[in-house]
Amino acid sequence: MRRMRGSMRGRVRTALIFMAALYLTACGVSNVVIEGSFPTPNISKLPLNVAVYYDPALTEFAYIEYSETGTEEYNIASGQSHIELFSTILPAMFDRVVVVDSIGEAEALGVDAIFAPIIEEFQLALPAKTKLDVYEIWIKYNMRLMKADGDYIADWVLTSYGKTPVESLRSVEAAINAAAIVALRDLASSFSLSFTQVPEVRDWLNTL
Amino acid sequence: MKHFLGRNRLGIALLLLVSLASCTTTTIDEFRQGETGIESHESVVILGRRQASDYETRSEFVSCVGERMTRGEGAISIVPEQEFVDAMFPWFEPRTAPLRTRDLERLMTEASVSDRMTEFGVRYIVWLDGFTETTDRSGSISCTIGPGGAGCFGFGSWEDDANFDARVWDVGSLTNVGTISTDATGQSYLPAFVIPIPLIARVEANACSRLATQLKEFVNGS
Repeated sequence: MRRMRGSMRGRVRTALIFMAALYLTACGVSNVVIEGSFPTPNISKLPLNVAVYYDPALTEFAYIEYSETGTEEYNIASGQSHIELFSTILPAMFDRVVVVDSIGEAEALGVDAIFAPIIEEFQLALPAKTKLDVYEIWIKYNMRLMKADGDYIADWVLTSYGKTPVESLRSVEAAINAAAIVALRDLASSFSLSFTQVPEVRDWLNTL
Repeated sequence: MKHFLGRNRLGIALLLLVSLASCTTTTIDEFRQGETGIESHESVVILGRRQASDYETRSEFVSCVGERMTRGEGAISIVPEQEFVDAMFPWFEPRTAPLRTRDLERLMTEASVSDRMTEFGVRYIVWLDGFTETTDRSGSISCTIGPGGAGCFGFGSWEDDANFDARVWDVGSLTNVGTISTDATGQSYLPAFVIPIPLIARVEANACSRLATQLKEFVNGS
């Protein structure tokens, strides 16, 4: 009898733990780490020696989407995926690219320019809120290009957009990741194709 | 005897439902603007348009059409969409992809683009644009669970409408050689008498199959 009671108590405990876990899962924030691969752009290289400085604001960038009741719903970490993206596109755009830990380090290297991108704004649109059958992501960037001595060459804003349709048997997290990858590819295409058309960059290139 | 007639009636009703469910109407409209034909060493790439703000051409539909074009009589070599877009990066992204043949002409002046196009042996680019919409949802189904068992009762139905346009660009002459439009509609039913029985109209699958057949004939010049 005692053994039976013990077994019953054990089952109740397991059920309670399971229910508590379910409750916590339902209420907790979902972490989404953006992951994907990016192709190398087919563009002509510029004969430049460029240092890249990734600000911690970019490398550790995370966006939190709140539910309508104000609780944290999704925590989207996209810093590392941005580093991977720039590590793919910059060597295809410039003759030599070196990653530096500080602007000062770049100055000492005697490079032609220092490039420092940061994310200014991140927006997520979920179908549950927009009533559209697509997941959408907008990202606004501030691109900064400096001379080796730290003087500004150009400082321009770039936006990227990505969307992916609602699909059955695909989780919200997977859809957010897919939309973010489209947005990152959009950034790569617009950045690599419009770089020399930024007026300040064009003027600076003409002086070289 | 009465019981037998009742069973027969139920069977006929079910058969009718199944036949209705499998009934999809597909209309194909072809508009030819130029001569076509393809050599055995040449290939076709099918790309989905993704410029619209409220929908995008599903990559599954694009690959379905491509896969069906590689089968049967007059099979055509198809370059997979993602492989082509990655190899051409960043020139065929939603924001940078050519919208008109004039844009393609400009794009082909880029050595890297024309070289890759030659490597793939692309003779035609087919731009697919469209989506499948579900409308006219009606009925309701309720499911209950109790100590004696579980079951669903009710009836639901909806209509699917797939609309896709395929624009064919000749990479050799840099012109639009034609457009094929497909419109497929079908009614799906979901009767539930203890167990829900889905009678789904395969609208998008039919649109894919018919469009692929028509495109294959169009590209082959027949």
